[in-house]
Amino acid sequence: MSDVAIPHDMEPHPLTGMYNGKFGIWLFLASEVMLFGALFSTYVLLRVGAPEGTWPMYGQEITTGNQILNVSLAFVNTLVLITSSVTMVLSWAALKMNNFAKGRMFLFITFALAGVFLVIKFFEYKGKFTHHQVVLKEPLGVDGEKVITSKTDKGERKIAVVNGHAENFGTWEEDGYLLIHSDPTESHDHSHELKIEADKIKRATRWGPNASTFLATYFTLTGLHGIHVIGGMVVILYFVLTGASDWKKRPEKYINRIECTGLYWHFVDLVWIFLFPVLYLL
Amino acid sequence: MSAEHHHEHDLPFWRKYVFSVDHKVIGVQYTVTGLLFLFFGFCLMMIMRWQLAYPLEAIPVIGTWLSQSMVDADGVLIGDGYNALGAMHGTIMVFLGVVPLAVGGFGNFVLPLQVGAPDMAFPKLNMASYWVYLVGGIVMLIGFFVPGGAANSGWTSYTPLANIATTGQTVWLFGMVLLITSSLLGSVNFIVTTVQLRAKGLSFFRLPFFVWAQFVTSFLLLLAFPPLEAAGVLQLMDRLADTSFFMPTGLVVSGELQESIYSGGGSPLLWQHLFWFLAHPEVYVLILPAMGILGEVIACNTRKPLWGYKSLVYSAIFLGFMSFIVWAHHMFMTGMGTTLSTFFQATTMIISVPSVIILTCFIISLWNASIRYNTPMLFALAFLPMFAIGGLTGLPLGLTASDIHLHDTYYVIGHFHYVVAPGTIFALFAGVYHWFPKVTGRKMSEFMGKLHFWPSFVFINAVFMPMFFVGMAGVLRRQFDQTEQLQGAVVHGLTIMSSWGAWGLGLAQIPFIINFFWSIRKGEKVGDNPWEATTLEWAAPSPPPHGNFETVPVVHCGPYEYSVPEKKTDYCPQNVVMEA
Amino acid sequence: MLAESTYGAWFPPMLSEHGGEIDHLISVVHWFMLALFVGWGIFFVYCLVRFRQRGGHKAVYNPVKGKISKYVEIAVGVFEAFLLVGLSMPVWDWYKNEPPDAGADRCEIRVVGEQFQWNFHYPGPDGKFGRTDAALIDTATNPLGIDWENEDAKDDVFSQEMHLPVGKDIYVRITSKDVIHSFAIPTMRVKQDSIPGMEIPVWFKVKKDATTAKLKESMTQTYPIDKIKWRRIRHHVAVEDYQDRSGQVVLAKGAPLGNNLEQGEKLINTLRESGHTELVLQPANPLEVICAQLCGNNHYTMKAQLITHEPADFDAWVQEMIEDRTAGSEMFEDF
Repeated sequence: MSDVAIPHDMEPHPLTGMYNGKFGIWLFLASEVMLFGALFSTYVLLRVGAPEGTWPMYGQEITTGNQILNVSLAFVNTLVLITSSVTMVLSWAALKMNNFAKGRMFLFITFALAGVFLVIKFFEYKGKFTHHQVVLKEPLGVDGEKVITSKTDKGERKIAVVNGHAENFGTWEEDGYLLIHSDPTESHDHSHELKIEADKIKRATRWGPNASTFLATYFTLTGLHGIHVIGGMVVILYFVLTGASDWKKRPEKYINRIECTGLYWHFVDLVWIFLFPVLYLL
Repeated sequence: MSAEHHHEHDLPFWRKYVFSVDHKVIGVQYTVTGLLFLFFGFCLMMIMRWQLAYPLEAIPVIGTWLSQSMVDADGVLIGDGYNALGAMHGTIMVFLGVVPLAVGGFGNFVLPLQVGAPDMAFPKLNMASYWVYLVGGIVMLIGFFVPGGAANSGWTSYTPLANIATTGQTVWLFGMVLLITSSLLGSVNFIVTTVQLRAKGLSFFRLPFFVWAQFVTSFLLLLAFPPLEAAGVLQLMDRLADTSFFMPTGLVVSGELQESIYSGGGSPLLWQHLFWFLAHPEVYVLILPAMGILGEVIACNTRKPLWGYKSLVYSAIFLGFMSFIVWAHHMFMTGMGTTLSTFFQATTMIISVPSVIILTCFIISLWNASIRYNTPMLFALAFLPMFAIGGLTGLPLGLTASDIHLHDTYYVIGHFHYVVAPGTIFALFAGVYHWFPKVTGRKMSEFMGKLHFWPSFVFINAVFMPMFFVGMAGVLRRQFDQTEQLQGAVVHGLTIMSSWGAWGLGLAQIPFIINFFWSIRKGEKVGDNPWEATTLEWAAPSPPPHGNFETVPVVHCGPYEYSVPEKKTDYCPQNVVMEA
Repeated sequence: MLAESTYGAWFPPMLSEHGGEIDHLISVVHWFMLALFVGWGIFFVYCLVRFRQRGGHKAVYNPVKGKISKYVEIAVGVFEAFLLVGLSMPVWDWYKNEPPDAGADRCEIRVVGEQFQWNFHYPGPDGKFGRTDAALIDTATNPLGIDWENEDAKDDVFSQEMHLPVGKDIYVRITSKDVIHSFAIPTMRVKQDSIPGMEIPVWFKVKKDATTAKLKESMTQTYPIDKIKWRRIRHHVAVEDYQDRSGQVVLAKGAPLGNNLEQGEKLINTLRESGHTELVLQPANPLEVICAQLCGNNHYTMKAQLITHEPADFDAWVQEMIEDRTAGSEMFEDF
């Protein structure tokens, strides 16, 4: 490729103190802040505007994200990502000290940790998709007249929404009824088996994005974040694989590219550090 | 550091003219693609204007060729078809036509030259941004061919209407994601290039106003587009995954309760906030590059420095900043309370100030000038009163009380078209005529240029001036048949006038198209600096080679040293120390 | 007032109490705009002529000094502040924050937009809206799902025309069933988005002599037959019978000139050939409620007739509607 020599490709500019690529990455990260900022604003607006009893899920005594989401898995993921940021820096530092082998090793560890993050995420998502929610047309006891009681002895009450694991989720419409092992909020107790007639059901969904605006926000935010993780992994893997030849030709350029990737990676980590408390803890 | 040409002639055709990383080739690609989309978007509008002037009459010639999602068996437009034309006209003109032309075309070609750089900071990224734009544009066009036709919920895609619309809307959303990505990549390039690649001696306040305008515009693109990208993702989620970001509880569509599909709890206004957070800065993205072009053309053809250069620069920066905090003036009628609306009315009034300053500086620049009336200057001069009309008619819209009457009427359409059509697009034409010699080494025909200008100027006013009266009469926008509304029927004569103006305007572009292509081969050959201008792009050959400058320029003075007293020539190029 | 009440290419008739202030603001702003444009324009044209390039004339490098532009800029800013604070904010404040007091003096109406019709729900003499239930919705017979068995609904009125008393406070609660619409009555200078999931109120008062009957009278116009364009008078009706040469009535009093372009042009030709030189027409209904936010393919047809009455006639209309409905349902009970 016929390249013209671009000024400040490698040497910092006196005004900004950065070489072009570094300045470029910072600008790109500014736009990413606006992107995730818009989604966080969406979360705030939807949560503040949610009518009583609908957040984070409709009609339940669920009031915080940690009753729906798996906090411990996410906490592990937080540690994983923070560690990967550390290994990213270690990689850059090793390269700066002219130790290519060590640098590439840490790069690979970063890649692997990101992979671990995604695997844990997969299990998190799977947990959601195997949970179900049934919204009833009007509050009922089971089988018409009988009122259910929860194991924590809340007294007799009627319910409008049932959460749990539905046995015949895929076929309930044909079967004419839905069989669900219910999951009263305070205790993950699946002891109540409820058979609900199809004509009493307003809506039956998995705990997927369409179950409530909270879950919709959760999946969108973590999903977009996950896509950014995958993007970062692709770039890191590329540098792991092509590193040897790049290092021979232009080591300084390679270091700069790793530095820029590192900046991006720290940002991805930072977004998660905001996501975790907002979605899981608050 | 000298430019390196050695490999250039070894490049195969594909790498030299198609997948090129040279900013000049990319600039030409953006320009040609942008002009084609502009033309296509214009044609969509010409069809719409037939329906407006002669409701329910079959479209002549092409009526029966259009798809069944747009016309009935006799070639008469149907409601969905009209709405699709409207939504796509707006989308294509703004996102596929004007911005790629103004920023991708002019910005890419001229900016590196004007800062004395050999190329953009990230040439490969630059190439990527063009191709993502092209793919995004093609995706947008595919919308016309899917069942149900193209997106038809307005370029604004308000929810819940857009949520329940046909497949074309999903295609639109994917297209937007691609276009936004292209813009983001481009804007990073522009900012880094402007800051880091300036030639020696080219301080910020010696930059041509064109560069400042592109610089501020790039910040707008960088920071304002992401919320729309987020909103696009959310709307895709609503449409494809049945989420309820924008779906409130209790919707009943065509008699069917939607509660079995959607959880509810969403907010239709959320879309509007996210959309307008981009779309307001977007309109400044439409106007700032045009003002930048104007700066160059006016300074060059008045043979004196722009009046109030510093005011122009500070106003452009202030305008960019303010553009982020006026967005909800598009939402006054959504039930907004007095506190919020007072804030947005105030910021809207304040943002008119830098616009007024910029316009005034340009007009005062004519004082004590020596005005050359060539084609670029004619278009540039016409911009001034046209932009004044467009800007002034924004005032009654920006005040809530008067907006009660004027919101969503033809008055709004008149307002924004005056700013973009005889405003920005005229400035873009000025830019084409002005820089054509730099790109091709030949001048466009002056005679054909004037044949393009005068009818365009007359017809464009014939299209849009009646709209203020039609709107004031209370006639609403986005109406398939205006005569259904009593007021629309009564003032229908003005609507017919707008339509004939539009068709005349279409004809008036023919001299331009002929001139453009003819001049590439047969235009008068010129040297490096046919306009005797001062900015750095004219110090490079016409057209500039790969790497732009034979020797890297060093800058000695400001950008508009025209008619400097006691100098030999009436212009001082920035890279030359002039003798007396 | 009613003398200027024909529609034309500037303000439509202004028939509400608060509308005058809006029109006043619009006028003041436009004079201001004109002043600025003319000022700029004169300077601009002067420069174009005086400073054109010609022999013996050179451009001057040094910038023109002078504080005039700064003072003009400040004056513009001050005037805009006046427009905002002095003229716009007071109207908007009233429009948003000062509803008429609840009670018998206030005519309250629920307006629900849907694709593609306006639905009007009146509480009737008891002032209470009957219960609505989404499960009862039937697009054809009961678009709002009013529970007619409910006590409060017994004297409710449902209509797809909007009827209003003149000279009384009107309080409208606006919402939507499906997508965003916009409740707009240009002649009342009223506009408010109709958003699903939200109920947004708007209020106004119709001027005392703006009854539909009087408006029709004042908007009666004579149209020379060779200048008539059907599309412009397609919503107008004849004020008297028009006959052809054989004495047959071709255009009856109160009838429109055909339902489409073809019929209309044919009828106009017939009348012209029968020797008529002019037609006296009036709008079939001078007032409309329209939809000002794109809501789908039939957005342009989404309008409702607006009929204004003297208060006594309005009450009579309400009574009549209640009786028609109960009589109708009694009728069906017998089957």
